[in-house]
Amino acid sequence: MKIEILGTGCPKCNKTKKFVEEAVAQAGVDAEIVKVEDMDGILAYGVLITPAVVVDGEVKIVGRVPKVDEVIEWITK
Amino acid sequence: MDNKIIPMSENAKCSCGASIIGVFPCAGASNVGQLSNAIAVELHKQGIGNMMCTVGIGGKINGLLKSAEGCDSIIVIDGCPLKCAQATMEEAGIPIGKHILLTDMDIKKNKDLDIDPAQVKEVLSKVTELL
Repeated sequence: MKIEILGTGCPKCNKTKKFVEEAVAQAGVDAEIVKVEDMDGILAYGVLITPAVVVDGEVKIVGRVPKVDEVIEWITK
Repeated sequence: MDNKIIPMSENAKCSCGASIIGVFPCAGASNVGQLSNAIAVELHKQGIGNMMCTVGIGGKINGLLKSAEGCDSIIVIDGCPLKCAQATMEEAGIPIGKHILLTDMDIKKNKDLDIDPAQVKEVLSKVTELL
């Protein structure tokens, strides 16, 4: 599984990365977590607000920090 | 009207700062449709809102739908009473905060696609007053 965190390094983006890492640890899934800071990479998903989280190519959330439980739900379905 | 080109790389806005206001024009094939698009561009350039892709909502493009859902409020600009942009947002279940209809501003719809910069300026002023 590939989880991408889209953002330019702002506080919300960093918090999102932290929560995603926590969720992956709690769920015990094998996931590659990638931080995408390149704007071209962000816009390629049609994402116009950051932070955003993409799981296996599907945009799950845009513009807010997800809860750890939300991320667990996405990655364990 | 300032015709400065906004690089695409500036279009993903960080949500850490002020609230995010999404602007969705109908961009239809008429004078008022093209005017809606021009107004949205100007609102974006002036930092009043963030212009987004209405057609991407209709096309159910994942990232664009999520971007709309991530907005704190939504402004929809329709050119004519067909209200295609409003219908598109409603179909997608995205709540509209403010709806603007350009033909309500004494502008008659026609098939002329060349918009007048002076009219853009005048209508922009009226739209800004409504926001």
